[in-house]
Amino acid sequence: MRKHNVSEVTTSRWSLSGLIVLLGLVLAGCASDAELDTLKPQSDVARSIDDLMDPVLAVAGVVMVIICGAIVYMAMRNRVSHYEDLDFPEQIHGNNTLEVTWTIVPAVIMALIAVATVVTHLAVNDTEANAYSVEVAGETESWEPVVVVVGQQWWWEYRYYFDQDIDVEALGDPRNLPEADIVTSGQMAIPIGQEIELIISSRDVIHSHWIPALNGKRDARPGFWAPWKLEADDPGVYFGQCTEFCGLSHSRMRMQVTAMTDANFQAWVDQQMAPAEIPAGAEDYVSELRAGNNASLGDSDSASARGLEAFVSNCSSCHLINGVNDLSYSGASTESGAAPDLTHFASRTTFAGGIFNTYNRDGSLNRDDLSAWIRNPQAMKGNAANGLGDGVAPRGMPTLGLDERTISDLVAYLETLGPKPSDELLAQTEVD
Amino acid sequence: MATTEEPLALESGQADIAERPLGVMTRPQGGNGWRDWLSTVDHKKIGIMYGVAAMFFFIVGGIEALLLRTQLAFPEQGLLSPQLYNELFTMHGVTMVFLFIMPLAAAFANYLIPLQIGARDVAFPRLNALSFWTWMSGAVFLNSTWLVGGGGADCGWFCYSPNSGITFSPTHGVDFYAIGLLITGIASLVGAMNLIVTVLNMRAPGMSLFRMPVMTWMLLITQFLLAFALPVITVALFLLLFDRVFDSQFFDPEAGADPLLWQHLFWIFGHPEVYIIVLPSFGIISEIIPTFSRKPIFGYSFMVFSGIAIGFMGWGVWAHHMFVSGIGPISVLAFSLSTMFIAVPTGVKILNWLATMWGGKLWFTTPMLFAVGTVAMFTIGGLSGVTHAIAPADTQQTDTYYIVAHFHYVIFGGGVLGLMGGAYFWWPKVFGYMLNETRGKIHFWMMLVGFNLTFGPMHVLGLQGMSRRIDTYSKGFGFDFWNLVATLGSYLIAISVAYFIYNTLRSRKEAVHLPPPGPDPWDARSLEWMLPSPTPEHNFDVIPTIESQDEWWHRKYGYDENGNVIRVATIEEAAQKGDAVGVHLPSPSFWPLVLAVGMPLIGYGIIFNLWLCVLGGLLSGGAIYAWILEPVDDPDAGHGHDDDHPDDDHSDDDDDGDAVAVGADDSAGDA
Repeated sequence: MRKHNVSEVTTSRWSLSGLIVLLGLVLAGCASDAELDTLKPQSDVARSIDDLMDPVLAVAGVVMVIICGAIVYMAMRNRVSHYEDLDFPEQIHGNNTLEVTWTIVPAVIMALIAVATVVTHLAVNDTEANAYSVEVAGETESWEPVVVVVGQQWWWEYRYYFDQDIDVEALGDPRNLPEADIVTSGQMAIPIGQEIELIISSRDVIHSHWIPALNGKRDARPGFWAPWKLEADDPGVYFGQCTEFCGLSHSRMRMQVTAMTDANFQAWVDQQMAPAEIPAGAEDYVSELRAGNNASLGDSDSASARGLEAFVSNCSSCHLINGVNDLSYSGASTESGAAPDLTHFASRTTFAGGIFNTYNRDGSLNRDDLSAWIRNPQAMKGNAANGLGDGVAPRGMPTLGLDERTISDLVAYLETLGPKPSDELLAQTEVD
Repeated sequence: MATTEEPLALESGQADIAERPLGVMTRPQGGNGWRDWLSTVDHKKIGIMYGVAAMFFFIVGGIEALLLRTQLAFPEQGLLSPQLYNELFTMHGVTMVFLFIMPLAAAFANYLIPLQIGARDVAFPRLNALSFWTWMSGAVFLNSTWLVGGGGADCGWFCYSPNSGITFSPTHGVDFYAIGLLITGIASLVGAMNLIVTVLNMRAPGMSLFRMPVMTWMLLITQFLLAFALPVITVALFLLLFDRVFDSQFFDPEAGADPLLWQHLFWIFGHPEVYIIVLPSFGIISEIIPTFSRKPIFGYSFMVFSGIAIGFMGWGVWAHHMFVSGIGPISVLAFSLSTMFIAVPTGVKILNWLATMWGGKLWFTTPMLFAVGTVAMFTIGGLSGVTHAIAPADTQQTDTYYIVAHFHYVIFGGGVLGLMGGAYFWWPKVFGYMLNETRGKIHFWMMLVGFNLTFGPMHVLGLQGMSRRIDTYSKGFGFDFWNLVATLGSYLIAISVAYFIYNTLRSRKEAVHLPPPGPDPWDARSLEWMLPSPTPEHNFDVIPTIESQDEWWHRKYGYDENGNVIRVATIEEAAQKGDAVGVHLPSPSFWPLVLAVGMPLIGYGIIFNLWLCVLGGLLSGGAIYAWILEPVDDPDAGHGHDDDHPDDDHSDDDDDGDAVAVGADDSAGDA
């Protein structure tokens, strides 16, 4: 074993320089653009977490360098290639002073970190209810900014109640919620500079709601309403991802928070509160339908009108569109009892659980993905829609076997469910 | 040749075994070949079987890991379906924790505890065999889900309800998970009880608790953790199984259940489990580092008490796995603080290892490289652990790859590297030949570099927001590059493991031309090194009387009046020869194996057809009766003693004094 001495030293020097190169690469990697980066906070609460984390990471880094440095130092200085008989170092069995010291010093460091942790933790969990004025149907409502967040396999629903004091007790079963002023999916709009309280639950398994730039995460747990909060400094789109493993398409359950100026938020509220626009030529059909009569559109030259009829006959047992089937709608036949509200489908930047962009880069509707999604959702995003076994309810969009003309009609109709988001917003939605 | 120095030697008496007790089957005798391995109750053979089987499942879990990493090498790959990916990461975790690290630690515990405390065997040799075979049958059962269960469990190793319920996971995977872990849990419990009793009752004369090697201490603490942690997961798994099989509603939110119940039960088990995984490795490197520093362990009592402190505090930190689950800010705070302070005893250990090395003569053999690597890598894992003990920070980190990086640095860096070092260290003791050092060092560096390439980048990925347990990721989130690096690193780990296996086989071949390693090739410190390599079946010729910590070192070396080390005896002089004959050893038995085989049958029965339960129950139940009724010794076996014979009438399991002759030639009258 003696003869390996030289090569060993060389090996460890090589690996040392390798480690340095690796460290450099790590730092370079950190600098790259990442939409979910946890180290780029965009709100007071996320910053307070970051401010706590950064010094701890620094202390941890220093400790790591000291310990690994000590190992390397000893390896360089004290190494032998073999043992000569009786070539012993001083036989030290311990040193109580030293050992008590290095028990107490880490304990003191920990205690300091603990104090900072307590302060930040209490601040992060403290919610202050600031009233925010929203104009709803011509009246100014004092909205305690609360957004009700409901997770289900594999998308997020956001519900806004402007005229009610929403508290945990009043909400009850997430599968049977009171009617909301606005219901969206995959995209939550908030006004900037305003602490928004979230009340989070789930309609099936546990999910976790996380917008890294705005705050840490909080689980959505069935049977429980978890309080949490968000805040954004600046207008923009902030990305999120479900972070509690929730089954088949866990990786394909994303969301975005769109932070807006007060004026833009008010405009967004006005748009979303309005019922869906009815395509020209389909008005009579819809009013017959809403009167509870059997209605038929008859022949129509308008693709979007035909799409509306296709929606009524194929989609309306699960999806809701305000102004079309809201009078007869009674929940979806999925496992969670819910499907995304499509009233303003085309005003959202993404669809199918935040996975596909609604619009292409050039601003045109993303027809390819939307058609493919309607044609065969299973191929686009695993969702066990047709059940995983006997007696198991679907938990996503089933493959309906629609013909191509119906699909393109549906796409044409969905495009009318705007208004289309601004180009500025769409540009921020792109991740790459 | 007498064994009368054994502390718990049974009352001697003239054996009268002319008649067979109760007309039951004869007991198998020791011998060679597969029958011997199937019926052995020798703690060393059981340890070897644990080790070999654990390495097999290391390969299984490793292949699963490689598939996962290959899928994640590039964004938006479709190599694995989301369902298969979910099954694979679940089975990877379950396999690595329950079927690789735990049994590999059990291999060391089984083989080395009796040797390090100066005992002939464990307290209950047949129970020891039962614990191995039960673990084995549970492991086979768990993996048979790929063939007959419709795929692996797809709920993650943590298997949170309600996602683990029949509604959301309708295949049999989760049933196999629950029953498989129940069976392996029985194995661990049985083993833990056995080893606790062994350490507490079977120590050689003079081997007080505070003369035991640090490793024995760490293994003892591990056994206590197992004994208290496994009942909790057992309860949880039964509730889960009842929900799935008998439509009970322990975890059904719609029936008013709170899914947090599962989380609490799982993590009350799951956190001590972390220490169950790393403490054996801590013990191993606490033997290796002093040996290759030529110094005694620095601060023996601090090492022992910090281990005990970790063992206690490990029970008060479980909810740090649940900081974002909505347990309330005050609970979060309490567990956040308790988690920070568990870093203190852990830090003491790290610093004491360094102080042991400080000023020492460091001989970087392969075991030493692995031990030092363990210290460094575990330090990184421990420090990242501190960063998510901070609850607000954890809300950003939990369920991201940062956590994946952290626990791999703890479990792989702190656990597997140490166990690998232990393998190189005790290989000559177990198999009688040394592993080639050059290849060993290549193995170490490949594994260390591969490990850091795989898991180092995951820190970055996690902080960049990459979630855990996602089967793919989109372009544009900045995940592409580091995922590719991690995948390449995982291949390097795989190559290093293959190279390790090659090294064991090649070294065995080469050993024919090399001088035998002798009893103590490393100039080590604890009792097992006073025995010939490989360890003779009867362990000690004469049970030694212990006078100090590091007893074996003190038999070789002493101090002159100036405090300088002098030689007292050479290794050859001080070592035992292994030539004792007629030592009483416990008789082999097939019934532990039969009992163990019945358990998976009961498991299949619960899932598929209750009649199989009857069959399995008859088999296991019958084996229990046969076990009770089989003679403590085979009356036909040769008995080499006339003065030290145990009373054959007692039918408890304490076979320790029971014997068959190992040297049949001398059995006629060696008095």
